[in-house]
Amino acid sequence: MNFFEAIFNYIGEIFTERLSYFPSNIRISLLIILFCAIAVIELYFYIAFRRASQANQQRQIENWKEHIDTILANLLIYDETDDTNEIIEHFYPKIKKMPLRNATVNKLLTSEIITYHKNFTGKTAEVLSVLYRRLNLDKKTKKKISNKNWETKIEGIREANEMGITEMADHIMKYTDDESALLRMEAQAAYIKLSQTDPFHFLDRAQERILDWHQLVLFEIITKNKKLVIPSFSKWLRSPNDTVVMLCLKLIDHFMQFDAAEEVERLLKHHNPKIVKKSVEIIGKLELEDAEQHMFEVYFDHGEEIKLEILNSLGKISSGNYAEFLSSRIYSNHTRIKREALYAIKRDLDNGENKLKEIYHQTTPENQALIAHVLDSRIKQ
Amino acid sequence: MSKILIAEDEVLMLKALEFKLKKDGYQVDVASDGRQAMEKVKNGTYDLILTDIMMPFVGGMEILSYIKNDPIKKSTPVLLISAVGLENVVLEGFNLGADDFIYKPFNLNELSVRVKRYIKQNAF
Repeated sequence: MNFFEAIFNYIGEIFTERLSYFPSNIRISLLIILFCAIAVIELYFYIAFRRASQANQQRQIENWKEHIDTILANLLIYDETDDTNEIIEHFYPKIKKMPLRNATVNKLLTSEIITYHKNFTGKTAEVLSVLYRRLNLDKKTKKKISNKNWETKIEGIREANEMGITEMADHIMKYTDDESALLRMEAQAAYIKLSQTDPFHFLDRAQERILDWHQLVLFEIITKNKKLVIPSFSKWLRSPNDTVVMLCLKLIDHFMQFDAAEEVERLLKHHNPKIVKKSVEIIGKLELEDAEQHMFEVYFDHGEEIKLEILNSLGKISSGNYAEFLSSRIYSNHTRIKREALYAIKRDLDNGENKLKEIYHQTTPENQALIAHVLDSRIKQ
Repeated sequence: MSKILIAEDEVLMLKALEFKLKKDGYQVDVASDGRQAMEKVKNGTYDLILTDIMMPFVGGMEILSYIKNDPIKKSTPVLLISAVGLENVVLEGFNLGADDFIYKPFNLNELSVRVKRYIKQNAF
C-alpha cells in the first residue's frame, strides 16, 4: 500500500466508519471540511473548463479572422476598371458560406469590412460599400441605431458613418439633440458626413450644449472634410444656444467669413463674456474697421480679459482712429492693460513707434520702463 | 522579379498590401513589426521598402534612417505609410530621405502605380 492510498483510506474511514463516534462539533467540522474540499475541486474544474472554452473560442475567432481577412484582401486587389458587381458576385458565395448567423462571425466580418473601408479609398472602398449592403449589414446597422440601448445606438451610428450610408442621415438626425452627450456627439459627427442636403441642419434645432471637447471634434471634422460645402455660419449667431454660437464663431474665424462681420459685431453686446471675447478676437483678426467704434463703446462694460482682447484687436486694425484712447490706457491701474495698449500703439507701422516715444517723454518712470520694454525689438509680445 | 518589403503592424493592411503587390507581379516579403522589419532590411536586399511609421519595437523612421545611412542600401526607395499627415512628421521623413509619403486612407491602385514608378526609377 503506498502513501497516498493510505491517506485516502484513512480519510475515507473517518467519514464512513468513525464519523458517528466523534462528538457533534467534530462531526460538523469534518462535514464542513468535506463540503469545502468538494467546492474547491469543483471550482478548479469550472475554471479549467472556462479557460479551455475561452481558448477554444479565441482560436476560432482567430481562424475566422484569418479566413475573413484573406477573402477581403482578395476582394480588394482588383483594378479601377473592373466591374464592382462582378467582383462582388465572384466572392459573395464564399462569404455566404460562412456562418453569418453566428453573432461572433457576423461582428467580426462587419468590423473587418469597416476597418478596411477606413483605410482605403477609390475602388476598394466602393467594393466594400457594395458588399456591406449586399450582405444586408446596413440593415443590421439601422437596427442598432434604433436600439433602446444608447451604446448600441452609438455603435450603429459609427458603422453608418464609417461606411458612408447616406440614407441613414435622417434617421440619425433625431439623435443630434439627445440628452446623452456621447450619443448626440456621435450623431452630429455622423450627420455632417452623411447628410447630402444640409449637413449643418442639426445646428438649427440644437438645444443641448455642445461641450468644449465636442466643439473641437466637430471643428476638426468640418475643417478637414474637403467634400463639405461650407455655409455662412453667421446664420446661427442668433441661436439661443450659446455653444452653437461659440462653435460658429470658431468656424467663422477659421474660414475668415467676412460676410459675418455685422452679426459678429452685434455679439459685442452678448450676455456671455466668452462669446464677446471671441467676437472681439474675430473683429481683430478680420481687421473689421467698422467695428472699432462699437468695441470702444462696450470697452468699459467688460472685465479685464475682454478689455485686453479689445486693445489687442484695436492694435490689429491700426486705423489710428483710437490712438488717443490707446494712449490714455497708460494711466490704467492694471499693468496688463497698459502693456496691451502700448503694443496696440506699436502695431501702427506708420506712427506707432513715434507715438510711443512721444508718450515716453511725458509719463512716469514706471511707464517709461514699460514703453522701453515694448520698444525693445528683441522682446516678442 | 523586383523584391519588395512591406512593414506594417496592422494585419489587415499588411495582407491587402501583400496581395495587391503580389498580384502586380512583385516578390513580396512581409514584416509585422519594426524589429522584424529591421532584421529583414539588414539581412536582405530589396528593390523597394514600404513601411508604416508607427510600429511596435522599431518605428518606420528608424528603419528609414538605417537604410539611408547605409552606403549600399541607401539607393533603395522607401515609401512611408502614415495615418497622420502632421507637418513635422512629413518633414522629418523627407529630411531622413524618404522617397514618398502615403496617407491613410489611400487608393490601393494609386499605391500600385507609385510603387511601379519608384521601382522603374531605381532600376536605371
